Amino acid sequence: MKPLVWIFVLMAFAFLPSQSFGLAIGEKAPPFEAPSTQGTIRLSDFQGKKLVVLAFYIRDFTPG
Amino acid sequence: MQAFQDDLLKFEGLNAQVLGVSADDLESHKRFSAELGLKFPLLSDNDGKLTGLYGKGRITFLIDRQGVIRLIQPGFPKNEEILAEIRKLEKMP
Repeated sequence: MKPLVWIFVLMAFAFLPSQSFGLAIGEKAPPFEAPSTQGTIRLSDFQGKKLVVLAFYIRDFTPG
Repeated sequence: MQAFQDDLLKFEGLNAQVLGVSADDLESHKRFSAELGLKFPLLSDNDGKLTGLYGKGRITFLIDRQGVIRLIQPGFPKNEEILAEIRKLEKMP
């Protein structure tokens, strides 16, 4: 792909609207379980132990 | 995700676990982690389950030890804001 096309693709990703589905500060975070690069991870693994920074991003090999 | 890696020691010092999530599969995540030298886990949400629970697009949540959401940050993550909130919650200067 031409570099200019890539720039447009990246810009499109950058401006995708992000939206939390009705979750608000002060509410319970929905429990989850998912495979990861360090084995299966559950939210409950951290409860009572650590704070969690859960960062959703668009795609590997893109900035952010 | 690079920015989280750059600040990872600060997050770990405040007892916070960073988790990255995207729809990519584990193979892609492993290559991406290796390329950036990421020491925190990347979760694969290729069935869209987490996105369905939490939201779509680029968005970061801070969850406290009791499982309560303390910060919702749409768009590119702003680490200093997240760290400040953690320090507030942990009552650290």
